[in-house]
Amino acid sequence: MRNLLRAYRSLIKAALITFFEYRAQVIIWVISFIFPLVMMVVWLAIVSEAGQVSGWGRSDFVAYYVGAAIVHQFTQSWATWEWEEQIRTGDLSFKLLKPLDPFHHIFTQIVGSKLFLLTTVLPIVLGLIWLAPGINYTLSPARLAACVAAVIGGFMVSMLMSTAFGMLSFWTTQSGNLYGLWYGVGNFLSGFIAPLALFPAWMQKIALVMPFRSTMGLPVEILVGRLDWAGIWLGLGITAAWMTIFTIIYRLLWRRGIRHYDAVGA
Amino acid sequence: MSIQVEHLTRYYRVHRKEPGLRSSIRNLFHRRYECIKAVDDISFAIEQGEVVGFLGPNGAGKTTTLKMLAGLLHPTAGRAEVLGYTPHRREREYLKQITLVMGQRNQLFWDLPAIETFIVNQAIYGIPELQFRRTLDELVALLDLEPLLTKQVRKLSLGERMKCELAASLLHQPRVLFLDEPTLGLDVDAQSAIRDFIRCYSQEHSVTVLLTSHYMADVTALARRILVIDDGRLMYDGNLEALVESTAPYKLLRLTLQQPIDEIDLAALGQVERYEGLKVTIRVPRHSTTAVAARALARLPIADLTIEDPPIEKIISEVFHQGVVYA
Repeated sequence: MRNLLRAYRSLIKAALITFFEYRAQVIIWVISFIFPLVMMVVWLAIVSEAGQVSGWGRSDFVAYYVGAAIVHQFTQSWATWEWEEQIRTGDLSFKLLKPLDPFHHIFTQIVGSKLFLLTTVLPIVLGLIWLAPGINYTLSPARLAACVAAVIGGFMVSMLMSTAFGMLSFWTTQSGNLYGLWYGVGNFLSGFIAPLALFPAWMQKIALVMPFRSTMGLPVEILVGRLDWAGIWLGLGITAAWMTIFTIIYRLLWRRGIRHYDAVGA
Repeated sequence: MSIQVEHLTRYYRVHRKEPGLRSSIRNLFHRRYECIKAVDDISFAIEQGEVVGFLGPNGAGKTTTLKMLAGLLHPTAGRAEVLGYTPHRREREYLKQITLVMGQRNQLFWDLPAIETFIVNQAIYGIPELQFRRTLDELVALLDLEPLLTKQVRKLSLGERMKCELAASLLHQPRVLFLDEPTLGLDVDAQSAIRDFIRCYSQEHSVTVLLTSHYMADVTALARRILVIDDGRLMYDGNLEALVESTAPYKLLRLTLQQPIDEIDLAALGQVERYEGLKVTIRVPRHSTTAVAARALARLPIADLTIEDPPIEKIISEVFHQGVVYA
């Protein structure tokens, strides 16, 4: 365990140095930050035409989607494409040679990017939020802790989910596209297209038990104070369940896939 | 025994595709697969501390064998054992004792100086600080790495990168080295630098080395024993000199004549391989080389005479064409 932590520290550090090497990355991230805000603009247009939607007014949507933009940055994972690349090009071989599971290499790289975000992009964004009128997240320390836990849990769900899809690369070169498709469906159920509270009850029920809400809706709902403690615990429980499920799927696929691996190139 | 391989076999399933859009569309629905026997029932054993050269044309199965031994590929049949471990289980303790260097591939962080990769490897392999410093110092001295350590990897030349690559692969002091084309694409100087390093290092640390190379010079300089593999099958396993003797029981007599002479007079000396202008190459049985040379000097108008072994490349290609010559 101590060795693993040492390896993590140095791998994350290497990832961070690489990110600082590519400063233009900051700009790309700031731009990708905008995506959830596009949905916000859509909803604001609706509100200004039709008035409140199911009790949600202008400031509710602003608070929700600004929160979503931040959460989205921290929870998204591109591990599928990373696995696909590693397997397709045979670069996975180098990871397989090391006495550290390849998962940790990809995991630390993505964690590194989140830390980079934390040190560079987040301060800018928080500054903007502070300047912008009408956004007001009042969180008790306990709620803040729950929100942080939900963000970390959401990241883990999306990391493990995208890793499970990445395993398909052992059989197909389309795993990235498949994940994209899955993720597209997920956009409806995560709280990205619309806050889940605005959906019909039956759809809310489906969204509740699917993994996507963990990656966006849950942390944001905690952040804007729309969830009671029972709801928070239920959400965190479902998040933990999906982490377990995707870990199992990923490991099963890994064990079968690695026999298939043909270490191409060289 | 360091490496033990019995009936090791690996098949690949390759997907066949004719060129063109129409076949691409057909392929969407129906794929045709073909089975390629990359490694076909090979067996050998290597002692700890031996340096063995692995020879064979492209696609012969050298790299596939190396990858199976390094645990990257699962064998289709047969078994391999290295240092008492089954490679494809990839146990941590096993991976800590081996290394695989792939000449064309790059394990170093591309955008960072090589030293960053070394530090990460230290952490991954759990190398104690003191041992790390000592090993690094040794490698820096042997490979002349000092000026390269802090340069971004992508700014290094191929030869420089290969040196760093080797250092990164040896920091954990592996007992078995699998080297796949470590000198590929390097210029002559860089090739010989890498070669000298491998020789020094393997002697000093008495590590087991299994090395493939296209450059015969690598193999002749480093390995006394060679394995020749073709089409997935082991064609020869044994001493390099013995292979030369058995496959090429002749030497080459190269003559430069003072004036042209009749080819029949040359044929009396041995089998004429080449006769162009005043240059002649004649195959002469090994045991009578000196006698034939003396006869030639006495009877023919000769300006210059040399006796050479046939090039190893040629011998190897003869092994491939003749078939099995097991030692």
